[in-house]
Amino acid sequence: MDTPLREPTFLILTALATGPMHGYGLIGEVAALSGNRVSLRPGTLYGALDRLVDAGLVEVDGEEVVDGRLRRYYRLSPGGEATLSAETERLRRNVEAATSRLSARTRAARPITPRTAGGLA
Amino acid sequence: MNDLERRYLRLLHAYPADYRRARGAEIVGTYLDLADPDRRWPSPADAADLLRGGLRQRLRAAGVTDLIPGVRLAALLALVTASVLAGVWSVAELHPPPVEWGVPHLGPFVSLGVVAWAAWLLTAAVIAVAPIRVARWAITLALLLTLALPPMAVALDAPRPPLFVLLPQVVLGLLGLALPDRPSRAIRLAPLLSVLLALAAAEFLLGLDHIDCYCGPTSAFLPTAGGLLLVVGALLATGLAIGGDARGGWALVTLLTPAGFLAVPALAGGTGWIYNAVTFTQLAGSAVAVALAGPAVLLLAILVRARRNPTTRHPGQPCPTCGTRA
Repeated sequence: MDTPLREPTFLILTALATGPMHGYGLIGEVAALSGNRVSLRPGTLYGALDRLVDAGLVEVDGEEVVDGRLRRYYRLSPGGEATLSAETERLRRNVEAATSRLSARTRAARPITPRTAGGLA
Repeated sequence: MNDLERRYLRLLHAYPADYRRARGAEIVGTYLDLADPDRRWPSPADAADLLRGGLRQRLRAAGVTDLIPGVRLAALLALVTASVLAGVWSVAELHPPPVEWGVPHLGPFVSLGVVAWAAWLLTAAVIAVAPIRVARWAITLALLLTLALPPMAVALDAPRPPLFVLLPQVVLGLLGLALPDRPSRAIRLAPLLSVLLALAAAEFLLGLDHIDCYCGPTSAFLPTAGGLLLVVGALLATGLAIGGDARGGWALVTLLTPAGFLAVPALAGGTGWIYNAVTFTQLAGSAVAVALAGPAVLLLAILVRARRNPTTRHPGQPCPTCGTRA
């Protein structure tokens, strides 16, 4: 699968990092992780899951029937875990670089307050 | 099974039959889990999601996964072209023919077309700054205004741009609706920058003061614009193909239809001033031929690609995602 990962893909893998999850649970978890910014619908979610399974990043864990409805659980594969780790590391380095440069910028922009030299008193 | 479930199952026919058998219960179950208890009909957004998912799955089954990204790329080029045309026609609208020519016009403007072109210019600005959902509404509004010009002209007894100018604009706009859901800043700005360049070029380079707006040599640039669109598409396809990316190829095939509509006057046998001599029947015949040939070429390309990459699962083979046998 192409990297960097698209945000919905990254969030799906992140949601599965805690353990196996079914489609309905994944939709809620992705919404929570993104602060309700990314809202996946089932047609989009299952299309993404198909691609992730094809790419070997996600596996089917099992299935159960709840209230007459089929629920299939998905889990992160070892390949998915490695991809998520690599992508997280890449993002972490980017965040660190941006944070450090913003801090330097803030320090540089701080107004220089004139001080009265004590010796002149 | 309640009404809502039955209706979701009906929409599920957008998916290929074997996929539907393997995954249908899971997909519909998730929609039902998400639905309010008193809901009886799928929401329009759910219906669109199912239809989109079904189309995507059919393309995936045919091994044509890069078609949709290709169409999205074509959508960007179509929007840029629509913006350039709107910019040029806007300037042309501000240069009505001299009164002594006796050509009917609309106050300081050439025709009612100014309303539609203004909407397209506004759309380019909206795409640059607003969320993509709002941008799609702006494109839809510009499309509706463009489509409304012929009946408005009849109702108000006012001049309007010729149909061979309006029709390609509508086709380009329809394709533009397929703009990516999360376009980059460069993509967002492309139509607006194109408009500004087109306005400047039309006002200062073309010398529209001496041109009879739509029916003069100015309109000869429609087939030229169509040709340029295909040249840009071909260059993009070649560049991307070198990196093993087939999106550009699909974009090029998709662009054949709008480029064909831009070339309708030339295909009907007219160039420059001769547009006046081309009959409505010739123009309509060319437009119908393009409307049939463009999508047919795209369909043919999909079928050829599907035959070369047969990834469709045969009955009895397990689904690669869930392991279920169809």
